[in-house]
Order: sequence, then structure tokens, then C-alpha cells
Amino acid sequence: MLLIIGGASAIGFYMAWSIGANDVANSMATAVGAKAITFKQAVLIAGVLNFIGAVFVGPHVVETVKGGIIDSAFIPDGHTLMLGFIASLLAAALWVTLSTWKEMPISTTHSVIGALIGFGLIVGGVQTVHWGKVGSVAASWVLSPVFGCILAFLIFKLLVKLIFAQDNPVHSAKIVGPIIIGVTAFLIVSSLLLKTALSEMMGISTLSQSIIISGIISIIVVFLSIYLLRNIEGRSSEDYATVEGIFRKLQVITSCYVAFSHGANDVANAIGPVAAIVPLASTGEMNPTAAIPTYLLVLGGIGIAVGCMTWGRKVMQTVGGRITSLTNTRGFSVDFGAATTVLVASKLGLPISTSHTVVGAVIGVGLARGLEAVDLGIIRKIIISWLLTLPIAAVTSIGIFLVIRLFI
Amino acid sequence: MEKEPDHFRVPVSDIYRRKTPFSQLLEHMEKVRECIDILGKGLTKYYKGEYEGFSKVADDVSRLEHEADIIKGNLRNHLPSTLFMPVDKGKFLWALREQDAILDHAENLVNMLDMRHTKIPKELQPLFIEHLQLVVVTVSAMETAVSNIKDLVETSFVKRERDQTKSFIHKVHEAEYAADIKKYEMTKGIYEHEKDLDPMDVYHLLKIADWVDDIADHAENVSDWLRAMIAK
Repeated sequence: MLLIIGGASAIGFYMAWSIGANDVANSMATAVGAKAITFKQAVLIAGVLNFIGAVFVGPHVVETVKGGIIDSAFIPDGHTLMLGFIASLLAAALWVTLSTWKEMPISTTHSVIGALIGFGLIVGGVQTVHWGKVGSVAASWVLSPVFGCILAFLIFKLLVKLIFAQDNPVHSAKIVGPIIIGVTAFLIVSSLLLKTALSEMMGISTLSQSIIISGIISIIVVFLSIYLLRNIEGRSSEDYATVEGIFRKLQVITSCYVAFSHGANDVANAIGPVAAIVPLASTGEMNPTAAIPTYLLVLGGIGIAVGCMTWGRKVMQTVGGRITSLTNTRGFSVDFGAATTVLVASKLGLPISTSHTVVGAVIGVGLARGLEAVDLGIIRKIIISWLLTLPIAAVTSIGIFLVIRLFI
Repeated sequence: MEKEPDHFRVPVSDIYRRKTPFSQLLEHMEKVRECIDILGKGLTKYYKGEYEGFSKVADDVSRLEHEADIIKGNLRNHLPSTLFMPVDKGKFLWALREQDAILDHAENLVNMLDMRHTKIPKELQPLFIEHLQLVVVTVSAMETAVSNIKDLVETSFVKRERDQTKSFIHKVHEAEYAADIKKYEMTKGIYEHEKDLDPMDVYHLLKIADWVDDIADHAENVSDWLRAMIAK
């Protein structure tokens, strides 16, 4: 039994590692590409903040992935269910690793869900899978790029209206930038304080309490950033370089935001199945309401952090030289649009894809006439890899399940 | 080690492009700037009857034309139909094409002049030089207008920058108009001297007036396409 728990945790860790390698690079690419942070800083930020996001905000999404996709009533026994989860986790992790190697920004969320569907189909037939649940999850896959797109579009339009169209863009940037950072701080703090382990520890229970605290912190952040930017002066009404310089500083914060949201959202993919395996292995029963043990979240957080520091590090290293058309105001808009979508979705318990949201946000800025050129051909290629993820993960999962059933 | 990083590419970064079409258009424009600079100086000497070193000018212009051609080809070849740009791609390509035509005409001009050294009558020399200067002004006004693309893109085409570009374009039109007027004066001057000149000289002088003026026409075309590009 211990062997199985240990093995499952190891696979969960492997999954977390590949998430760190694949997703982190995609979500941090904008910040590194816009030269807001160096790749070393990106690796460090991604490692630390993914961990914090995973441990403190993670649990909500874990519930959805763990219990929602498969109806355990149709699975003959706990043992089969457990093997299924192990097979699904391994299949998903393999697909993520392969895609990272093949340079495809696929969704780790898709992989896990695809793998679970595959297992459900082979064991209990079509009725095993909660298609309604899958449908709502699938809808969020469509919605996440769309929301990322809309948010990034609006933020960029806002920057154009409130900064570039003004007579003194630098002056406006010094006010508008910190306010958006304040909004970011508000979203981060309130997500930390709303129904999480941290809020219980601090004894914060009501919505208004957490909103007041987040509000105060974000106002402090606004004034602090205005204070820190006070010495920057524009040379003329066309001094856009200074505006970009201000946003380079602000983008350090939004890239932390991305890493944080990513950790909160994606730790579920690695830990959800493990969290289901542990009680199955120890009691033989599926317990859908059991809380996710914190040590698993820590394990997932560490896995993601290690993933971005090892393989993700290499990914990031090459990114810097590849994006040159991306300026800081654009990177800021992409980061903000994507991270907000991901964070809100993970608070709502929707397992959405970080990669999808980032790609959506890039298109959003492009539609706002913000990018000199967006290659829709590559986006098409990416979307095809998204569509392939579900069937491939399902088939792999079925294969692995059939093999390990022979042995365990 | 050299090859290894290729395995770790991130497709999200491929959506953006390493070299953007606009920066390549500006790169191409720099070749025009360099070329017209050489041409302006070389041709002034030619007009004054100093033919020494003109072959070097012709070589330099041809070299720049070729370098610009490579940039142009590169730009065109990497502009797939799936590429989404903030301006109309067709208009963008037309602007590039007209900008390239400046170089084509400059190259044709210097090579033709180098083949036959035509003496410009003393009385007509000032007119020829003034016309040349006006053409150079037209091209540099166009360069100013095209350079402003950087600010346009940076601000996502805000009104202030669009207005500024329009005012630059207006200057191109003014300079081109002045060059046209000067060309008619030149032509008139050539006809007035037709009795004293060898017919082949007359033919060549008229041709020079046309060839030099073509450069200004194409600079104006570039700015017209630019105007269409930034129209709302």
C-alpha cells in the first residue's frame, strides 16, 4: 500500500515537473521576451510563486479534477479505480513531456481530463464519464482563450487611451500603471484570503473582511508604486521609450502574477489524481469529500518549481532571444489578461488552461492593433495540438491501464 | 551544445516574430537614404562636368540597390497570408514596392549616365542642381514620414501620431510639386538651347530630367500608400 502511495506521489511529482517545464515557459515567455526580467529571474519567480500559488490557492480546482470527471459507481472496485488514476496521471505526464519536447504549448489540464476520460470509457463504458461535467470543462477551454483575449484587448486599449493618446504619456503612465498594479494586488490578495488555508489560519471568514484587507493592501501598493516611480520624467510628448521603461518595471509584478495564478490553477492537474489515489490505497474506498492533504499541495508546488528550474530553465533561456517585437506595454497587457483569467477561473473551480489563455491574450493585443505582426499560422498549429491532446491522452491512458492491470 | 537549445523552443514565442515587417521596411528605407545621399553628391559633380569617380557612384548605388532587394525579398517571402498585421498588408506591400522603385530608378539613372557622359550647358547647370536638390528633399521628407511608423506602431495608431505622419506626408507632396515645377523649367531651358546642342545631347538631357524626376514621383507614391495604410 505504501508502495502504491509512494509510486503515485512519484508520478504526481513527475507530472508537476513536466507542468513546470511546459506551462511555465509559455506563461513567462512574454515577460522574458519583453526584457522585463532575465531568464534567471523568470525561473526564480516562477519557482517561488508557483509554489505559493499552488499551496495557498490550489485546492479549489483539485476538487473538480478529482471527483468530477468519472462516476465511480460504474467502476467495479476501488482497486481498478486506483489503477485508473495512476494510468491517467502517467499518460497525461508522458504527453506533456512529449509536447514540451516537441515544442507544443498544450494544456496540461486537457491531458489529465483526456486521460481520465479514456480510462472511464475502457472500464465502465460511455455512461461512466460525466459528459455534462466534461462539457462544462470543455466550454471553459473555449472560454479561457476568449476571456484572455477580451481582457488583454481591453487592458491594451485602456493603455492606449489613457497613456499613449494623452499629451504627456509618461506622466499618465506614472498614474495609470500603479493603479493597474493595485488591481493586480487586490486580485492576488483576495484570492489568497478567500476560502483558503491561509484565511483560516488568519481567522478571516467573511467576504467583506477579505475585501477590506485586500483593498487596503492594494491601495498601499498603488501609493508605493507611485512613490517609486516619482523620479521618472518624460522628455517630450513622444517619449514612448520612458513609458515602456515604466512598464518594464511594472511587468516584473505582472509576471509574478502570472506565475502565482499558474501555480494556483495547474497544481490540480498533478495533485488531483494523487489525492484520489491516497484514500483508495489506504481504505479501498473513494471519498469524494476528503480534503486534499497539504503535503500533496506542497509536493505539487515543489514539483512545478523544480520543473521550471530544470527543463523550464532551458526553455526560458532560448525565449529571450526570440521575441523582439514585444514591448513592455504589450507584455504587460498579455500578462494581466492571462493571469486574471486564470486566477478568477481557478477561484471558481474551473480547470482552465494557462497556455490557452496566454495564446488568447496575445491575439487580443494583436486585435487591438498592438502587435506589429501575429502569425496566425502558428496559432492554428497550436490549436490543432490542443484538439489532439484529448484523444491522445485518452488512448495512452487506456494503454497504460491495460498494461498495469496485468501486473498489479 | 550549439544545436541543443533548439529542442527547447517555445511556440508561444513564435507567434511574435523576431524581425517585424515594419522594422524591415525601415531597414529597407535606410538603404534608400544611403543611396540617395551618394546619388545627390555624385550627380551634383556630374552636372558640373566632373566625371571622375562617377563609375564608383554607379557601383555604390548598384550595390545598395542589390542589398535593398535582398531585404525586400526577405520581407515578402516571410509575409504569409496567415500573418496578422495592424495595417492592411496589401497597402504595406505597395509602400514597399514603391520604396524599392526609388532604388531601381536611381540605379538605372546612374548606369545610363555612366555610359554616356553628357555635358550639361553652363546656363542650365544651376537649374539641374536645384532640381536635384528638390528631389533629394522629397525623398528625405518621405523618409521622415516613413520613420514615424515606429511611433505609430508603438502607440497603436493614436490620433496625435497619425496627424503627425499626415503632416510629414504633406511635406512630401509640397517638395514633389516643387520638383515638378523645376523640371518644367529645365525642359523649357533645354528646348531653348536645342539649336546649339547636338541632338543626342538634347535627347539625353531630356531623359536625365525625366529619370531624376521619377525618383521624386516614387517617393510621393510611398507616402501615398503610407497615408492609405494609416487611414482609419
